[in-house]
Amino acid sequence: MKRLPPNWEVSEIEPGLYSILDGTRSIEVRVGRNHAGFVVDLDGRIVSVELDDPREWRQGGRHHGRQGRAEISAPMPGKVVRVLVASGDAVIEGQGLVVVEAMKMQNEMKAPKDGKVVAVAAKEGASVAAGQVLVTLE
Amino acid sequence: MFRKVLVANRGEIAVRVIRGLREMGIASVAVYSDADRNSLAVRMADEAVRLGPAPSAESYLRMDRILDAARLTGAEAIHPGYGFLSENDAFAAACQEAGIKFIGPSAESIRSVGSKTAARQIAKAAGAPIVPGIEEPVSSIEEARSAARAIGYPVLLKAVAGGGGKGMRRVDREADLEAALRDASSEAERSFRNAAVYIEKLVIEPRHIEIQVLGDEHGHIIHLGERECSLQRRHQKVIEESPSPVMLRYPELRQAMGEAALKVARAAGYYNAGTCEFLVDADRNFYFLEMNTRLQVEHPVTELVTGLDLVEWQLRIAAGEPLTLQQSDIAWRGSAIECRIYAEDPAMDFLPSPGRIEWVREPSGPGIRLDSAVYPGMTVPMEYDPLLAKLAVWASTRERAIDRMHRAIFEYRVAGIKTNLEFFDRVLADAEFRTGSFHTAYIPEFFARAGRTVPATEEERAVASAIAAYHGKPAAKPRVGDARPQWRSTHHAEVLR
Repeated sequence: MKRLPPNWEVSEIEPGLYSILDGTRSIEVRVGRNHAGFVVDLDGRIVSVELDDPREWRQGGRHHGRQGRAEISAPMPGKVVRVLVASGDAVIEGQGLVVVEAMKMQNEMKAPKDGKVVAVAAKEGASVAAGQVLVTLE
Repeated sequence: MFRKVLVANRGEIAVRVIRGLREMGIASVAVYSDADRNSLAVRMADEAVRLGPAPSAESYLRMDRILDAARLTGAEAIHPGYGFLSENDAFAAACQEAGIKFIGPSAESIRSVGSKTAARQIAKAAGAPIVPGIEEPVSSIEEARSAARAIGYPVLLKAVAGGGGKGMRRVDREADLEAALRDASSEAERSFRNAAVYIEKLVIEPRHIEIQVLGDEHGHIIHLGERECSLQRRHQKVIEESPSPVMLRYPELRQAMGEAALKVARAAGYYNAGTCEFLVDADRNFYFLEMNTRLQVEHPVTELVTGLDLVEWQLRIAAGEPLTLQQSDIAWRGSAIECRIYAEDPAMDFLPSPGRIEWVREPSGPGIRLDSAVYPGMTVPMEYDPLLAKLAVWASTRERAIDRMHRAIFEYRVAGIKTNLEFFDRVLADAEFRTGSFHTAYIPEFFARAGRTVPATEEERAVASAIAAYHGKPAAKPRVGDARPQWRSTHHAEVLR
């Protein structure tokens, strides 16, 4: 378990918002959570912190390995506008799989490697959350 | 003057117009989709009317429902904002037919300069310089080939009804023309329900500079100078400023471009607020591109340097009042910059990042103007443009304005969704941006030179993980410096046991 540096004086301004005095140096930090751990705003710099405890992890989406399964997940909340592959299709690296649209921008999810489509969870017209698996390759 | 005005838009521009209406003592009517029920616009307006479900086609683009909302509330005029129906001549005509004043130019003007090809013809006839190209949309690949050959590569394919870079493709050689034409047409069809595409010469390393015009319904029109809009991602502006760094060095260019803009506007019988967009090359040759027949997103920078209120003038002009300002009355003072704060991730090629805003701290202090539509706890819908707010600053010189903006960006924090705030922090410190010698490809070049992101330093990671661990495990919080009263800490400890 991490301890605060001994010379820090920490004051919680509101939940998640801390004023730190590191000696005389004043730092303002805001801590929030995301699916993989914490997002820390450090005087305007955004730093992600993953939790030490692996049980608190929720697997966040992409696996870019050359071998094995690859799950292609939505990089942003949005709507599936087009599904370009079906289960059983052979795909090559870089081939378009699904098109997700959010905020007037279409984003084509591409195959991270050559392989075979083993599952298509995406449905045209459906809303998806960030990190939601759309297509599984093998 | 009108007693009640309906604002047919959403987001920060709806808030901007509602604020203007309140300042003028005019009642405001907001319209909203289901995704915007809890929006600031609805909360700030005097009245609000539901249009329909979230998709724009079922809400903000429904002319019939908007006109019904105006009739229901007794609104005498409609301010269309930007985007949605603002440049739709059929909507302007429908308003007129319904006896409701459309706050903008006439339907005829929108028709004549709203289409890029028609605007080029008008500009050419009026004697304003245009980019070499064809005036008619291409109807076949053969026609495109011969046109592109005559103009000379590289060329740019553009949607006739386009905007925001949709339906636009750069083509460097003939072999790529056919595929690019297909892509551009289908994107144009999807985005504007109009697949027509035309061809222009590609101006190399251009700046994008636009001229604001303002005219009344009695034939008097003036220009309010320029806005520098060269900093763009995906052909959408992210930073705008006035004066342009070019005009700071060559002030005569403002007058020359201002006169060219007025030629186009007069030829189109234009009234109300409008903007002529130009490309300016390295030798300061300028070419008229198109006219935006509405209030522009970046109008605050013009308001800051001229001291005028464009929304107020739009309303006065629409109410039939004469524009009492002469060209010689317009003076430009100091320097203004605007940053468009978007819900997007610059590290992931500006991928949109809708979602719930957990926390916001807004900048304030000397010289700051914030046109925002967000608040903590609000969900940014995924159905619309990712613009959250426009942060504008004014200072006596460009250098001071940049320093002030940099300070304001330091103060501005948004948590829960990704934003481009950190990206602005980097750009505002960039020497090339500060010299003002940039063009429209600045952002990709900046990324190539400085990286998409700056990785966290050892020290930043150490501070972040220490505070995250402290935050995440409240039971283990040391008491040192904890400013909370004793009883609250005890209470927490008991709950956690």
